[in-house]
Amino acid sequence: MNKFIVQVNGPAYGSTASFRALKFCQAATSAGHQVIKVFFYQDGVQNSNSLHCPASDEINLQQLWVDFSHSQHVPLINCVSAALRRGVLSEPDAVENNKPQWNSDSTFIMGGLGELVSGIEHADRLVCF
Amino acid sequence: MKKISIVFRHSPYGTTKTREGIDFALLSASFEQQVSLIFCDEAVLHLLPNQQAELAGSKDYVSVFKAFELYEIETILACKQSLVALGIKQQELAIDVQVAEADAISKALVHADEVLVF
Repeated sequence: MNKFIVQVNGPAYGSTASFRALKFCQAATSAGHQVIKVFFYQDGVQNSNSLHCPASDEINLQQLWVDFSHSQHVPLINCVSAALRRGVLSEPDAVENNKPQWNSDSTFIMGGLGELVSGIEHADRLVCF
Repeated sequence: MKKISIVFRHSPYGTTKTREGIDFALLSASFEQQVSLIFCDEAVLHLLPNQQAELAGSKDYVSVFKAFELYEIETILACKQSLVALGIKQQELAIDVQVAEADAISKALVHADEVLVF
């Protein structure tokens, strides 16, 4: 059993990075490995945007990440500074910045880059997408 | 403590990749990780002096390169082939780097625990 930390740098739509990351996470956990956390950085923070509305015959990666997190108990961490720059806000971020709306799904936890570094220290391997 | 190699591949200001990679590098170094930086392809353009990031609507994330020593980031490699391809000489560079051949970069990557590419 290996412990992985997965970094996602691509958005939910427009690149396949996030889809490949999800498939890797699913394969790793089903093979008995542990994904200690998934860290969303750069455009990857867009995966937490709960306003994604793909057509009904297309996949919704934001929802698939939430489902994966709940079923496998894997924390999803958004880099807060990368998110704020890209208009991805949690409810507390919206309140703090005087914005009337927010869009980040509450399953995604806003955290700092320290979460990534400490995850790298504790994991056997970092895998970036 | 892990040995983390961070590879930069993109030109300044065209994307925000390098900025967010530098943020990660500095944070890793301040978390006591052993960080090395490798500039390849058009990312070697970051090493030229007199950059004016604000003219491109960007935050000036290049000035901080002078502080790498403070963060105890000692290994900074610049790809020789990339410098040659862009007509840049080592003496033109704004900070002290080791100009490295491709095989030296490969060895540095093998030596690392983790490699991140920005």
